[in-house]
Amino acid sequence: MRRDPLQIPTVVLLVLAMAAWWHGADFYVHEVLLSEIALFAMLAMSLDLLVGYAGMVSLGHAAFLGIGAYVTAGLTVFLGWPVALAMPASALVAGLAALVVGSFVVRLGGVFFIMITLAIGQMVYAYFLKAREFGADDGMSGIPRLDLSFLGLDTADPAVFSAVLLLAALAVYLLLRVVVRSPYGATLVAIHQNEGRVRALGCPVHRYKLGAYVLAAAIAGLAGSLTTQHSSFVSPDLAFWTVSGEVLIMVILGGGGSIVGAAIGACAFLVLKHWLSAGESWEALGLPTFMADHWQLVMGSLFVLVVLVAADGIYGRARRLLRRDGPQAG
Amino acid sequence: MLLDPQFLVIQVLNGLQLSALLFLLAVGLSVVFGLMNFINLAHGTLYMLGAYFAVAVAGAFDSFWAALVLAPLGVAVVGAVAHVTLFRRLQSAGPMKQVLVTFGLIFVGFDVVRIVWGRLPHTVPTPETLAGSVQILGETYPTYRLFIIGVGLAVLVALHLGLDRTRLGAVVRAGVDDRTMVAALGINVELVFFAVFCLGCWLAGLAGVVAAPVFSVFPGMDMSVLILALIVVVLGGPGSLWGAALGALVIGMADTFGQVMFPAFASVTIYALMAAILLFKPGGLVPVRPSH
Amino acid sequence: MKTTTLRGLGRVAAAGLLGALTALPASAASPIKVGLLLPSSGVFAGLGKDQDISFQMALEDFGDEVGGRKIVLVRADTESKPNSGLAAAKKLILRDRADVLVGVISSGVLGAVRDYVDGAKVPLIVTNAGNDDITGEKCSPWILRSSFSNDQIVREMGPWMARAGYKRVFLMAFDYAGGHQLMDSFRKGFVAAGGEIAGEEYPPLGETKDFGPYLAKLKAAEPDAAFVFFAGGPAIKFVKEYAAFGLKDTVKLAGPGWLTSALYVGKQGADAEGTLSILNYVPSIDSAENKGFQERFRAKHGRDASEFGVAAYDAARLVIEALQATGGATDDRQALVAAMHRVQFNGPRGPFRIDPATNNVIQNIYISEVEKIGDTYGAVVKEVRPNVQDAPNGCSKPF
Repeated sequence: MRRDPLQIPTVVLLVLAMAAWWHGADFYVHEVLLSEIALFAMLAMSLDLLVGYAGMVSLGHAAFLGIGAYVTAGLTVFLGWPVALAMPASALVAGLAALVVGSFVVRLGGVFFIMITLAIGQMVYAYFLKAREFGADDGMSGIPRLDLSFLGLDTADPAVFSAVLLLAALAVYLLLRVVVRSPYGATLVAIHQNEGRVRALGCPVHRYKLGAYVLAAAIAGLAGSLTTQHSSFVSPDLAFWTVSGEVLIMVILGGGGSIVGAAIGACAFLVLKHWLSAGESWEALGLPTFMADHWQLVMGSLFVLVVLVAADGIYGRARRLLRRDGPQAG
Repeated sequence: MLLDPQFLVIQVLNGLQLSALLFLLAVGLSVVFGLMNFINLAHGTLYMLGAYFAVAVAGAFDSFWAALVLAPLGVAVVGAVAHVTLFRRLQSAGPMKQVLVTFGLIFVGFDVVRIVWGRLPHTVPTPETLAGSVQILGETYPTYRLFIIGVGLAVLVALHLGLDRTRLGAVVRAGVDDRTMVAALGINVELVFFAVFCLGCWLAGLAGVVAAPVFSVFPGMDMSVLILALIVVVLGGPGSLWGAALGALVIGMADTFGQVMFPAFASVTIYALMAAILLFKPGGLVPVRPSH
Repeated sequence: MKTTTLRGLGRVAAAGLLGALTALPASAASPIKVGLLLPSSGVFAGLGKDQDISFQMALEDFGDEVGGRKIVLVRADTESKPNSGLAAAKKLILRDRADVLVGVISSGVLGAVRDYVDGAKVPLIVTNAGNDDITGEKCSPWILRSSFSNDQIVREMGPWMARAGYKRVFLMAFDYAGGHQLMDSFRKGFVAAGGEIAGEEYPPLGETKDFGPYLAKLKAAEPDAAFVFFAGGPAIKFVKEYAAFGLKDTVKLAGPGWLTSALYVGKQGADAEGTLSILNYVPSIDSAENKGFQERFRAKHGRDASEFGVAAYDAARLVIEALQATGGATDDRQALVAAMHRVQFNGPRGPFRIDPATNNVIQNIYISEVEKIGDTYGAVVKEVRPNVQDAPNGCSKPF
């Protein structure tokens, strides 16, 4: 297995930074920035299990985000389920969907896997776009948040709910670390590196890959449930392929194959996006505010730059700087 | 209605027209992917650039034909510059970095056309000679659509002859099969790749110009075709000329007839079809290399 | 009903931030912040820009200072996407402390921000999105609309076309809520007036590459007219294809006026000629207010102002005149909304006021036909329906 002495200090630093930011933040940072970072970090970390470890580059991860979100929305709004029950149900349904889909698609490799996940993601999107019972393209509103009043916490308070989301992201991180450090995780990496040899050793390769696909989907489903609670709203665009693309970008930007890198990528992506798209930021730099309209141009150029100067992402680059001995695995 | 021969012929022509456009879009992407293992998500952006260049040239010279000649060349130049400055470094970099860079270029391309041409849709007038319509079995059919089908067929034949009869074609075919072997023969693979990449960009630009009079030209028109082009490539089998042609035909027809016969499922027809085909033929319809 | 409890939840969710917002009373000299909730990226970026410049023009025309306070604009990009739109609304409310929000192009974004804006109790003037339920079943005392409701636009067209002798009409729109709303409203009036629906098609939104297959079906149904709803790029494409398939001269084309919007009717050119449209504004309206407005807009931007621009322009005037009534005070938001309900003026599209019973605008609706005007094309008014108003929605505005 890979040695990664930077992992623990990075995580500690990241947690401390988030805690400090949360502590000093205003309503906006709680309600929008920190919450979005936590939600996308969960998604990106779960995708990293697929991309960075199992070598399965999925361009349809947002489908499970959407499924999770709609399950929670449907169960709470139509059936009146408590959110605390709807959340595990979201993860479960997303995981089951992945089990069905995955048993077909994990056999495909490379670009074929990318494309079939994309196609399945778009089918999920197309379903919700037409589903009148879920409000079709207008979506549904009025989804409640998790009730934590028995702990004396009011989740309607943006500070409280963003803390809940950040803690959930931390829990997802810990879970995924346990998985990737287990023999199971090591086998995934081995499959990624040389699938033929691992199969020759008698290992049920597809079942291993399927396991990762299902787990990642369940986490995405949970993130979907939390997303819809956060916005009290759900619409089909959650499942659209560009969301999958953005999450994939976060993973690559942060540095795949480390879990924490994906979280860093989510953080960097969202902070940059919000900063670049605000006229005030450009004003502060002494530049014309209309640049805010063109945040996509700047952001896109930055992606290109990242690949040129830090080909293995932010975290990968940091790791490489730390130890310059030879090439990395993965 | 479906049994009505007139209706059927019109819909077949509609399907062929869409197939021809998809073929123009996908063939460059497919060969580049097959030869260089390079996933260019910004291929749709090249198509969009072709359409915008057509707006500029057709506006300046008041001639669609000038746009047809010049705009794809302009796109090829843009592709050449992108290749020299960026893509060359990415060839061995693996799909992740290619996705990141080319996804970034989608963002850049989107904003650049917005800055240069504004945010409102543009149009390119249909050339006068093709603006009318013809009578087919007593039905009116737009001449320009037949022109699109013709361009698609012409490009298919030209590429087939080029691959089959020329030395460059032989090198390209060999390169798709086994890259290292071609390099070992002392052929300048870099240069071949470069030429093929530029040709792919030229074709994307051509697709943009040809589409411009039918589709309106607006920022974001790239996104609507990118996925389709990728689907055609994967469905046909990356790296194969006839695969791209077959993939385009299957998707073009499925989309057209799906909309006519199963309107309730129109939005998922092509995705479902691709998923189904890949499950049974994991390497695409015309696999070049055994899938891994 | 279920929605009331849900709305209650939305209020609770926003209650936390209310304290902080009201804790900071604005001093007399502090600027009045208007938050423009418009897309500067995504599919509706062009419309966002159009509304932005029109709003700015209104500030120049009617003054950007009220009661010693300057009106400043703050912006956030909705990206034309519901979830990004919600984040943008939160930014304008929480970070920029906007006193009033103006904007929202797409109905998806409006649905997404509705509960939040309602809970935060910040007035929002909708300048485009026409979902019927936002000034109907899901109305909010804090959400007013200067543009239109879908039903308001097309309601009159069905009876009109039936009377004009179009007996069999074919319907077509993209398969999404707005498309179905517009077609349903048309059908209701048309069938009641004795018309017959010859067929209907709903191509998938965002997945339709080619109108050819649908046009062939339309032709095969042999209707007298087609009533279709498309806008932007697809509208240009549809009108051109409609002509190319030889339908223009045999089956009368009609639709909500976005089909041949002032933004691109010139580009559709001769292909658009003869298209019947129904809308709340066309540039050729013959009034002093409209002519002056168009002249100023043309001098500034070199083209006709569109119905999108007018909705934002009138929204700005609504805000300014309401602020003048409150002497520039914004702390009492209920009073501000009440002042908006009292504003009345003659704008480019005719008499403008907000209906307190629905919060939707009361306005003239124009039935027009695209004709050649000079060396370009434009919609020419054939008939005016004055002061079209939505039915009261039973939403008696408890703040």
